[in-house]
Amino acid sequence: MITIISKIELEGTDNLKYTDVGYTEDVSIINQINESYDSTLGKFIGENRTKLTLGEVSISEFFATTEYVNEAATQTDSIDGLSLIEITNINQL
Amino acid sequence: MASPTKGNTTNSSATPGASSKNYTHNQNTGDDGLIVVQLSMTNNRNFTGATYGGQAMTQLYQINRGGLGQKMAFYYLENPPTGSNTLTLSFSASVWNGVSVHIRSFTDSGGIGASNRTGGQSSPHSGDITVEEDSLIMITSCCVNVILTQQIPTGTNRTFTTHNVNRQVATGAISANGGHSAGTINVRATSASGNLTLDRTEIKGLGSSVDTTGGDFFAIM
Repeated sequence: MITIISKIELEGTDNLKYTDVGYTEDVSIINQINESYDSTLGKFIGENRTKLTLGEVSISEFFATTEYVNEAATQTDSIDGLSLIEITNINQL
Repeated sequence: MASPTKGNTTNSSATPGASSKNYTHNQNTGDDGLIVVQLSMTNNRNFTGATYGGQAMTQLYQINRGGLGQKMAFYYLENPPTGSNTLTLSFSASVWNGVSVHIRSFTDSGGIGASNRTGGQSSPHSGDITVEEDSLIMITSCCVNVILTQQIPTGTNRTFTTHNVNRQVATGAISANGGHSAGTINVRATSASGNLTLDRTEIKGLGSSVDTTGGDFFAIM
């Protein structure tokens, strides 16, 4: 199974924007990406989920100090037709 | 008759953080195509639509599982555009929980058939669905605790994807390639503990092009 790596940025003032930037089948790379996500954006969303839902906190607060975050949360059988590069080293991101 | 041919799958549990989210999926080339999407997310939002390749998908169901705090839905599109296209989900407002998404393509499909759904019951949760000859069955469940099995039919474990959104979701379980004989099929889901749901949907094969129910029958020797 192929895992697609997405770049997550702020869109406007309150939305997330996902852009697919590559793919990997390397479990260690997937784990590194998702552990980084969990300790940054994932942590912020988890701690502020209710307030984000109610509009009392803006996701822009997180992106005030962070340009973007990667996540590897989509698995697929086929990437045919997509212009995605294989990520073999996390430093490529 | 012939069973539907299974195609590509795409799974995601990402948090949209917006009132829509795009997923890229490659629909297989072939006649009588079908694309389906099984969904589950927190029930403080609604699914308001789905498109694939810009074409509106049909909502088969959307159910509020209040006891589990989940909204579960199923969309499909017959004869979708082939190749890599964008599936866009729309929500009633920005979603800040993970959304369980399972997209599956088929070819050689006669479309969606029966669909039965039951809310949270203690494990094991069994249910019936009456299908046509050679149809496949897809099932999905949600639960507070770990989901252990998805059985199609009961007694036969099928592989599935687990998504940990704000609940445990089992998605993507489907019958073996040969499909089922016409009739009522019992399926089952089990969890480590606690109540779990069981939604089942028939994916129909292609009807026979030869009417064998009556009239003359010719054998080619």
